[in-house]
Parts: sequence; C-alpha cells; structure tokens
Amino acid sequence: MIRDITIGQYYPKESVVHKLDPRVKLIGTLVYMISMFCFQRFLGFFFVICFLGLTINISKVPVPYILKGLKPIIAILLFTVGINALFSQGRVLFEFGIIKITIEGIRKAIFMGIRLVLLVIGASMMTFTTTPNHLTDGLEALLKPLKWLHVPVHEIAMMMSIALRFIPILLEETDKIMKAQMARGADFETGNMIVRAKKLIPLLVPLFVSAFRRANDLAMAMDARCYRGGEGRTKMNPLSYKRRDYYAFCIIILYVVLLFVNVKYMPQLI
Amino acid sequence: MSIILDHVCYQYKDSIRTDEYAIKDINLKIEDGEFIGLIGHTGSGKSTLVQHLNGLVKASAGNIYYNGEDIYDKDFSMHALRGKVGLVFQYPEHQLFESTVIKDISFGPKNLGLPPLEVDLRSYQAMKDVGLSEELLDVSPFSLSGGQKRRVAIAGVLAMQPEVLILDEPTAGLDPKGREEILQLIKQLRREKKCTIILVSHSMEDVANYVERLIVMHHGQVVLDGNTRSIFKHSDELEMLGLAAPQVTYIMRGLRKKGWNVSEDVITVEEAKKEILKALGKRLG
Repeated sequence: MIRDITIGQYYPKESVVHKLDPRVKLIGTLVYMISMFCFQRFLGFFFVICFLGLTINISKVPVPYILKGLKPIIAILLFTVGINALFSQGRVLFEFGIIKITIEGIRKAIFMGIRLVLLVIGASMMTFTTTPNHLTDGLEALLKPLKWLHVPVHEIAMMMSIALRFIPILLEETDKIMKAQMARGADFETGNMIVRAKKLIPLLVPLFVSAFRRANDLAMAMDARCYRGGEGRTKMNPLSYKRRDYYAFCIIILYVVLLFVNVKYMPQLI
Repeated sequence: MSIILDHVCYQYKDSIRTDEYAIKDINLKIEDGEFIGLIGHTGSGKSTLVQHLNGLVKASAGNIYYNGEDIYDKDFSMHALRGKVGLVFQYPEHQLFESTVIKDISFGPKNLGLPPLEVDLRSYQAMKDVGLSEELLDVSPFSLSGGQKRRVAIAGVLAMQPEVLILDEPTAGLDPKGREEILQLIKQLRREKKCTIILVSHSMEDVANYVERLIVMHHGQVVLDGNTRSIFKHSDELEMLGLAAPQVTYIMRGLRKKGWNVSEDVITVEEAKKEILKALGKRLG
C-alpha cells in the first residue's frame, strides 16, 4: 500500500545516465527546471519533451514506472489546473453565475499542467538514476564553495544522505506496524478526517519510537567508527569527470541554446 | 472448525518477474486445537503465509476457508476474523504505543467493540496469563525490560481471546532465559486455553520440544508436513534446505554408530537423557 510510492526512489539499471557523475545530473536538472520557467509558449515544450525523452530513452527506466510516480501529485495538478482555468481574465468562453471560463484561462491551465508534470518527471528522473549516496556526494561537491561562508556543507550532506537512507526503512517499518495494529483490530480506512487522524496514534507513536531508536543506534555506530565530521575526511571513490560527463554537459548546453533560439526568434505561431 | 488453504499463491505487486512467488500453491488444513510449528529459512515465505491467515495479505490466487467460510467473500467480516485469528508479529514490542500497560493491552478488545467491562476483564486476564504482575498495570510500557515488553505485546493479542494464536518468531532477539520463558508461556497457554497455536520459527530446537505437527517451507512452498518426530527423520532433506534436526538427534545418531543401543528417534534433551541412562544401565548390566 504505502510502498507503492515510486517518486524519489532509485531505479537500478545499467545505463549511461545512471553512470553519469552526479554533479552533471544535478546541474542538468537545475538547468532543466529553470529553463521551464523561461518561456510562455507551447513551442518551448517541444524541446523540453525532446530533451526529457532522450534522457528517459537512454536511461532505460520504463515509462509506465515513471508515470506511476505522478500519482501522488494528481491532487496538486488538478488544483493548479482548476485554479488557472477558473480565475483567469480574458475573453469569456462561457459562464455560470460567478464562474467564468475564459480562453486564456484554459490555455494557461493546460500550460501550467504540462509544466508541472514535466517538472516532476524531470526531478524524478534524477532520483531514478542516482543512488542517494551519489546524490549527496554530488551536492556536497557542488556546495563546497559555500564553506567560505561557514556553511557546514559536509554536515548538511551527511544529514541528507542519512535522511534519504532512512526513507525506505521507515516506510517498511510503517507497513509492519500498520499490519501489526490491524492484526489487533485497528482500522485505518474508515471514518472522517478527525477520526482517522486519531486512529493514526497507534501507528505514529511506535514509528517515532523506532525512528529515535534507530537514530540512537546509528549515532553509536558512527561514534564507534570515530566519525568526527567533515574535517580531514577523504572519500573512497572521489568524484571525477569522465568523457561521458563532458558529452552530457555539451548536450545540456545544446538544449539551452536550441530552446532559447527557438522560443525567442521563431515566429509567433504557437 | 478449521482453516483450509486451497492453492494459495501470493505475488508481490512490484515483482519484476512473473514467475516469482512469495508463496506458491499452498494447500493446508489446520485442524482445531493443533499445535503447529512452521519452519523455514529466512525468506521462505513463513511470515507471508501466516499473514494470509488473518487476511492482512490477500492471496493473488487461491482460497482460504475459516470454519468453512470463504474469507474473501464480500460479506465475510475481516474485522471479526482478526479477532479470531490472533497474530503476534516478530518483535511485537515495537508496536506498543499507549501510556500504560493495561491501556495497550486493551487496545485489541476495544477495537472488537466489546462492552467496557468485558474489555477490562479480558485485559486483566491476558495480563495474568502472560505472567505480568499487577504492579505493572499503570506503568508505561516503554519503561519495561525487553522480555516484559514482549509479554505485554503478546497479552495485547491474547486479550482478544483468539481461537487461533499465531506467533511469528516469538523468541527472536531474546537471551536464552527469555527464550525459555516465552516458550514455556506458550506451552502453558496451550494447556490452559486449548486454542490452536502456530509457532513460526527457524530454530529446530525451539520447535522440537513443543509442537506436535511441523510444516517445513522452502522457496514459498510447503516441502514437508507431518508429525514432528517423523519430520526429523528426514534430516538429509532438512539439511539440503539449510535446516537441521535438533542437535541432540545428531548426538544420538552418532552414539548409535559407535555401537550404543539407543533409539535415533529422539528429539528433545529429556528423551535423550532417558535413552542414554537406559543404554548405560544395560551396559553396566
């Protein structure tokens, strides 16, 4: 039940995208996301989808699996589309009472919907192809300059990797405790919001207890192995750019250039 | 009164291969009042199987009948089933959540919708059954020792007064003394309550002393099923599955090879002692 959530999970496969340096993927994702907000025309999506399609194709992550990851955002998606469709100014298509639906509204709603879906797919492509450890290694490397401003980059990265590491463990634990309480007749599915929230106590209390217990154990284990923070700590597999990473950078730059040239200078047809 | 499993299969929803089963084609009949040991290696499907028995996991194929009623029938009440088939999970102490021991124990009977007086009666009885003293009534379960916590958790299931009690690795993570205590407790429950008990374990020693029927699982299938004593005669097969007969059975076999006139059909230390004394007696004339 709860384990069906695929968003943010790693999908193991042998592919070039999986092997790319995490820094490239992080920068690529960032560029991709920013680029999404730099145009107001549907034409832009053509390039975005091409770029995304290329990445998905190379990464060999199955498309149905990716689409399954969109399930949790359906509510947000409908909300955004609804708000945009209902509350936009422009030429009125039809109206009932206070509800006015405009051509501009519909256009904007579709635009926002596509943008949101593409954003989520783009971000999840990174997590599908990058292990949490790699991801935090990449983040740590990219944020290193902030050390000059006394930002504890290593500590933040370590906390992030631990947090990510704990997600599947806690999900599994939730599943287990839920079943255990259901075996004692607990019912998590019926009742209104308040009743249901109250029924979550038998689930949440043991979950917190176990999270604290695990955190304690982990702290002890880290202490036992003389963890002292980032000072003087070296990596077993330091990140280094390979030829494929430079190719990937080239593709990202090509994508940005193509997108901008087309969105800015193509005649205003679509 | 029985539980019948008819060609029950279970497949994980996200399993990539279609021929991969967590449990596969299980056919079992569990009679009233049986004391069953369910044995198998880690990942052999024991836990998945027992979770089918109270409807926590729904079989991908096949049927389960509780007292002749199909539990997957639309008008069959899963809620009632969970009250009748009590399942104690592995490390059950991790599911404690209430502020006092007695409140935690009464969570189950309360969920069954019993009147408050009945809830209290059952909870006190369950506490007594697992051997917890009354001083612990209003203590926070989190301040108890590991063994005590486990007793509270078991009491939480017992308080529902199930007809079938399933315990998934009840001795996992306990020291030898705690193990012995829990196993003795189960034996005593069996004697007093006369309910059906299914003990899931991977330790032959634990099981040999207590259960009457043994079901051995491997790769999601039942490979051996029968009387405890008869199962341990298949020690070669058991070893192939990564399991073994109790150590004392091997000792007796070794003794016999050395020419001692002892029975090989021994599965507990008590029996071995008797056999050896008998053989010694004969030797000394």
